[in-house]
Amino acid sequence: MSFDILCRQRTLYFLVKWSLAVCIALNLGACSRDAEPVHQEQILVFGTLVDITLWGVNDDKAQQATAAVISTLNKLHHRWHAWEPGPLTEINARLARGETVTLDPDQVEVIRGARELSRQSGDLFNPAIGRLIGLWGFHSDDRPSTIPPPAPQAIQQLVAQHPTMEDLHLDGNKLRSDNPALQFDFGAYVKSYGVDRAIDQLRRHGVANAIVNAGGDLRAIGSRGDRPWRIGIRDPRGPGILASVEIRGDESVFTSGDYERFFVYQGKRYHHIIDPRSGYPPDGAMSATVIYPGGGVGGGASTALMVAGPKDWLKVVRGMHLKQAMLVAADRKVYLTPVLAKRIHFEVDPPPTVIIGQP
Amino acid sequence: MMKLTRADWLVLIAAIALLPGLYAHYWGEQGPATTVRISASGQQDITLPLSGERRVKVHGPLGDSVIEIHAGRVRFVSSPCRGKQCVHSGWLSHSGELAACLPNGIMVSVLGRERQFDSINF
Repeated sequence: MSFDILCRQRTLYFLVKWSLAVCIALNLGACSRDAEPVHQEQILVFGTLVDITLWGVNDDKAQQATAAVISTLNKLHHRWHAWEPGPLTEINARLARGETVTLDPDQVEVIRGARELSRQSGDLFNPAIGRLIGLWGFHSDDRPSTIPPPAPQAIQQLVAQHPTMEDLHLDGNKLRSDNPALQFDFGAYVKSYGVDRAIDQLRRHGVANAIVNAGGDLRAIGSRGDRPWRIGIRDPRGPGILASVEIRGDESVFTSGDYERFFVYQGKRYHHIIDPRSGYPPDGAMSATVIYPGGGVGGGASTALMVAGPKDWLKVVRGMHLKQAMLVAADRKVYLTPVLAKRIHFEVDPPPTVIIGQP
Repeated sequence: MMKLTRADWLVLIAAIALLPGLYAHYWGEQGPATTVRISASGQQDITLPLSGERRVKVHGPLGDSVIEIHAGRVRFVSSPCRGKQCVHSGWLSHSGELAACLPNGIMVSVLGRERQFDSINF
């Protein structure tokens, strides 16, 4: 081999190796930058912190889709607010006067949906007890702890009037009520409705992989690229994570807890979920979580489970046809349906005592 | 098959030596291992290391919330809300933990080396 050829081969060898190194570097860069196009935005809307996570869309599309969701949630917030003057307080006032109210199609949809869930839950989810919620002072974003709980007689009086969704007469879009004590407060059910409308809005914008989390209640669609979405479920005591689930496809995860809105008066905790039977916050459970395909059931189911507590939670599971439910009881024992027990992963050490309930 | 010369070895070693650097640069977490993210409505998120001592005033619709970082932990010291649930949340130190003052639109969350969860249900 002549000296000349040897030289050229070496140069070639050098070139190949260096280009390889450069390629590897570029690939590494490309992997980390382009394979995870995640957009996340947190906004204060809908009376809570809404966290929108999108995967696999470009910046422009992400911004348009997010803006559309914010606008939708803003409108719903006003439309369904239980105490700020608006369409719902107007309906409440007119029903209380015994008038017949003409509803818009979306109002018919929400009232019908809530009535069905109320029936299935045996009235443990009862969106007709707005007066009771108001009496407890939870018709305020920021109830001070210095105000004592209401007088027992006042609570008794409202419980005795026993307003339920069965007091309603809905004929087409005409609504009236037999019970002047009926006052709507859709609570967490409006949150599920809002999250579902937000997901509709995202899909209309061509987003296939997303999570919409409204103050802790969420629905996830698609996946995060080649791995599922990972959802952490908060520990009802302390700021950490109790358990996690992975979601691929389209599922909602809704939790109600005694730590979300509460006040402590003379050492006792009073939270915002009221048992319609007693008029007091139930104390059997610290949190209740439901997971279900698609949207719809959400807030109504988790509220009913909180009210039912460990004694009656399976009745609610059966009545509302829930496949996946978890109840963290006041003694920290965790009650699970078999389907959820199979997929949930506890993130606390040691893991809690688990009781599997057969629906 | 050509024999590797000293120069070839040099190139190979240099390329291999570069790899950890590249990995750290592109895949590794930027900055310290654990960080705090403070989100306030209508404002850019603030990301701070969970080490050292620091007090941050964050302005919200009700006024200023004070957040303290101390010895690898973070908490709400005070907030102009009436319920004070954010202050009752106490110290946060583990990845994924969060505390929020909803009336004042401020959320504090601890982020780990790797984002463990895409979203938190509560």
